[in-house]
Amino acid sequence: MALHNALAQNAFHGFIESVPAYCSLAIFYDVAVVKASYPSAPTAFQLVKELTEKLIAGLNDASNKADNQPIVIPVYYNGEDLHSLAEHHRLSAAQVIEIHTQQIYKVFMIGFLPGFAYMGKVDERIATPRHGTPRTHVSPGSVGIAGFQTGIYPLHSPGGWQLLGQTPIKIFDVEKTVPCLLKAGDHVRFTAIDETAFNTLNEYT
Amino acid sequence: MATLQDSGRFGSRHIGVGSGGAMDLFALLAANYLCNNDGEEAVLELNFPAPEFIFEENAIIALAGADFAAMINETPLPPWRTIAVKKGSILSFRRPVSGSKAYLAVRGGWQAEKWLESYSTHLKLGKGGFGGKAIQKNDSIGFLSSSNSLAIGKIMPWQVSNRELAKVYGHADQIQCIAGKEYELLTATSKNDFNGQFFTLSQQSDRMGYRLSGQPLMLQQHVDLVSSAVDRGTVQLLPSGSCIVLMADHQTIGGYPRIASVARVDLPKLAQLQPGQAFGFTIISPQEAENQLVKRQKLLSEIKWACTINFKKHNLC
Repeated sequence: MALHNALAQNAFHGFIESVPAYCSLAIFYDVAVVKASYPSAPTAFQLVKELTEKLIAGLNDASNKADNQPIVIPVYYNGEDLHSLAEHHRLSAAQVIEIHTQQIYKVFMIGFLPGFAYMGKVDERIATPRHGTPRTHVSPGSVGIAGFQTGIYPLHSPGGWQLLGQTPIKIFDVEKTVPCLLKAGDHVRFTAIDETAFNTLNEYT
Repeated sequence: MATLQDSGRFGSRHIGVGSGGAMDLFALLAANYLCNNDGEEAVLELNFPAPEFIFEENAIIALAGADFAAMINETPLPPWRTIAVKKGSILSFRRPVSGSKAYLAVRGGWQAEKWLESYSTHLKLGKGGFGGKAIQKNDSIGFLSSSNSLAIGKIMPWQVSNRELAKVYGHADQIQCIAGKEYELLTATSKNDFNGQFFTLSQQSDRMGYRLSGQPLMLQQHVDLVSSAVDRGTVQLLPSGSCIVLMADHQTIGGYPRIASVARVDLPKLAQLQPGQAFGFTIISPQEAENQLVKRQKLLSEIKWACTINFKKHNLC
């Protein structure tokens, strides 16, 4: 993440963008521009690799510090899989909710769908594999678990995650200048709300 | 399907919004240059069967990419040319002659919605291009009228030459690629198969990816990869043993083994294949791929410059 931010602030000639994932950062660049700007380099790839290594060496612990406050996401815990998941783990639904909401999750990456944030790490007491056969239709705002990951569906989509509940908040809004609420490196906490609060806050209608 | 596209949406991959853009980026740029555009303008990407268009004003247009036997009224219209079209003319496409993606550009660019810095159509989110949708019958698309041009109803005498086109689309059955991160994990037999066999473009191919039919490939042992960012041209090995080449509307993140990456210079050639067509992969070094890319940029610059000179010479504006 520190590298992702450093690149955003200190772009080399030809840098297009970088994409963080679980344990990698993809760096996209324009080969022709890089070669034209750094003609002595044998390949653009080697040049970018060297520049990146220099940047990494320059990063210190301070740049890696996560100083952002957790973003709180309200959830109405009435998901289709809440009870079966609770049963599977020999817990009550209330206990599952308590365990899910007491954790602070890190956003590892956004991908597969615009705005789909992969967060972790889910407590092993409620970590559950995806469904073998995905649902053909999951509604936007659905909050779920897949293995040790937790996430929120930003759009209507097929999906295999274990659905625990719904958030009334739009986590991806095409009409906003910054459409995505979350980004890699953010911290998130979920909080339980009731049906009335959900209906009041609902941004999806 | 007909959609407005440009060369892509950049800077938003990290929030899961892919780059999209034209499937054949060479044809998109050539079409724009033939209209004396900068290259950033929105262009129509057409598949066959393609819509019929009525021009309600004079226009300067160009067609590039696939040849769908275009006609203006009853006059055949060759691709890779600049055409001055008269108000009231009807542009139609009679049959697929070669290629699968045609690009229709207009002087000044088609009027399009810009979203996150790009005119490309994001169909899933319904943003960009023609209000985020494919073009339907009776839709109207605006453009800058060329009514003060001296040429009306003419095919201009210059073109992208066959020699130049051969550099881009020649050897259509050979697609160059560089070895992917997981290439070495392939079994020896599978490596031979990857390099030696013909793959066929299957019917399950679209803007997200081109599914390939061929001998199933296998890794020496099963790997569970952590998802990471992928790009257009990434050749993924699916659990079934078949391959898929990610194309314009691919998802931003992938978890399947990446056995190769199609050289950017050969993506236009690959994009223009029709289902049922066969080709073989040829692995080249990253250095060679880069060198070819630089040459390709030069070729495009030359085309752009030549068009600008010709427009001036013939008093086209």
